[in-house]
Amino acid sequence: MGFKKKKQNAVEEKSLHMVEHKGIGDHIADVIIYLLVALVAFVSVIPMWHVLMTSLSDGKMVMAYEGLVWKWIGNFNLKAYNLIFDNASIVSGYANTIIYTVSSTALGFVLAAITGYALSRDTKLKTPVSLILMATMLFSGGMVPTYMVIKSLGWVGTRWALIIPGCTNSMFMIMMMNAFNSVPREMYEAARIDGAGHFRTMWQVMLPQAMNLGFVIILNSVVGQWNSWLPASIYTPNNKNLWPLQLWIKQIVADNANFLRSANPDYNRYLIQYAVIVAATLPILVLFPFFQDKLEKGVIAGGVKG
Amino acid sequence: MAKTKTTAYKAPRITWRRDFKRNWPVYMMFLPAIIFMVVLHYIPMFGIVMAFQDFNVTKGYFGSEWVGLKNFIDLFTGDQFLVALRNTVCIAVIKTTLGFVPPIIFAFLLSMIQNKKFKRFCQTMSYLPNFVAAVVVVSLVQEFLAKDGPLTLFLTNVFGLENQNWLANEQIPVFWIIYLLMGVWQGIGWGSIMYVAAISTVSGDLHEAAAIDGANRWQRLFKITLPCIMPTVMMMFVLGVGLSFSTGFDSILLMYMPSTYNVADTVYTYTYRMAFSASANYSLSAASGLFQSVVGTILLIGSNAISRKMTDSSLF
Repeated sequence: MGFKKKKQNAVEEKSLHMVEHKGIGDHIADVIIYLLVALVAFVSVIPMWHVLMTSLSDGKMVMAYEGLVWKWIGNFNLKAYNLIFDNASIVSGYANTIIYTVSSTALGFVLAAITGYALSRDTKLKTPVSLILMATMLFSGGMVPTYMVIKSLGWVGTRWALIIPGCTNSMFMIMMMNAFNSVPREMYEAARIDGAGHFRTMWQVMLPQAMNLGFVIILNSVVGQWNSWLPASIYTPNNKNLWPLQLWIKQIVADNANFLRSANPDYNRYLIQYAVIVAATLPILVLFPFFQDKLEKGVIAGGVKG
Repeated sequence: MAKTKTTAYKAPRITWRRDFKRNWPVYMMFLPAIIFMVVLHYIPMFGIVMAFQDFNVTKGYFGSEWVGLKNFIDLFTGDQFLVALRNTVCIAVIKTTLGFVPPIIFAFLLSMIQNKKFKRFCQTMSYLPNFVAAVVVVSLVQEFLAKDGPLTLFLTNVFGLENQNWLANEQIPVFWIIYLLMGVWQGIGWGSIMYVAAISTVSGDLHEAAAIDGANRWQRLFKITLPCIMPTVMMMFVLGVGLSFSTGFDSILLMYMPSTYNVADTVYTYTYRMAFSASANYSLSAASGLFQSVVGTILLIGSNAISRKMTDSSLF
């Protein structure tokens, strides 16, 4: 959603921190501010750190250990990772997540680009269609009626239920419309006069100019799809071969509660839940700092909630 | 939604037929989106009629018996839905008030840090939880608040609170506070982006002038920075209120259990349970979903209208 707002002059941030005389009180305040910010950063990371270190620990010892795991306990141990990559269901979960993420993002982006381009042109259909799109953001049919439609399409228990609904995002379409609107009109006119059709104009002339926002859409879609679990739990609850990784995490964490009931447990199995969390989360967490600036700009430009 | 930039050139009034003749390729490009929207959003809206029926899957929409408002009367006379409604309202209020402030404070703190590298590093770290999946976040909460979890032990050892599995606690504000803190943990960094951007556009001249006049940094914070970013704060608040009732409850599906329904059940989770559990009742689920949808839409439009009146900014 874009925001109507008065334009303000961007002023360099450094001017906020003028050289001025500081008293002892200011220095104490400075220390407290630094500590608080560092505390937020610390608290943000420490739970995942705990999980990472637990997954690398000795299974039996870490089970007996209580409290935060700062560093792996016992011998450094990668057996849990061997176990999860030998586990056919987790590997298939990984593959499914990749399939859903790639196809839903690709399809969603193409749809958003085509619709955004069409919306950015002057036609009589522009206003009615943008109203149709915005209405879906305000009001939805709800869980059961949507389920009924997916069911009558014959998509329940198939991959389609997880790919197609996820890619029709009216917010992305509107963002692409804004992106195309900001491309200079001359470029469009030049391409059209040179005889390029609408599709050619869009893909070869306009889209490269609109990719700044396009990239934000792609990143948001990738993160959203990678982390999504609800559609799978609604539409493919019994088709374990279609489960994305997130559902397997849910299952494994729940199963682990029963772990101790077996007579002679393999303690590395206790670590699986930690290892699978790391394996599912690390790719996104490692990739995201590279795109941080773009994602930040996306939040500011579009008010998109990650 | 952002206004589209219309160009100065204004086309003369043209008929649909002429417009189609000239722009038919663009019309074709609208087609996929319209098909998707109709099938996946508008046909389900028609399906809402089942909220007014005694819906039976084999009979379908046209064969099922019409019962008028019976489903809604059932909802509001049974206990389950009313409890869920109370929890939803309380969680929404807590989320939009207590949960709204931490990102603003964090943005203020960040703005007072002069070491660029340290600031950037802490920002990056604080963004990370936003990218962690809901399933993982909930299993972290379960891990940390279990009977022998690190956070439970900390609370027991330092504050002397009873050693327990906090997620199983049925007393009233406990689950709501856990849910609030979970949201704050996930959103404090990411939510601060808008405010950090707004603070960075505050004119340095104002600060300089105030500093020369002898205002210390706290006075400048409350008298200059805060008023300057007030439109952003208002806008985010409006958005928060507008979405508070209808979004963000899906992770409760992963956290609650039958013994905590009394404090953790919400309209959203009730709708889900009525739709997909063993005791499914499609009509009740559709009625409860419709109720949530209507209240959510009214909140969004209402808060937007109030914001447009009180400040210059509005979402659409």
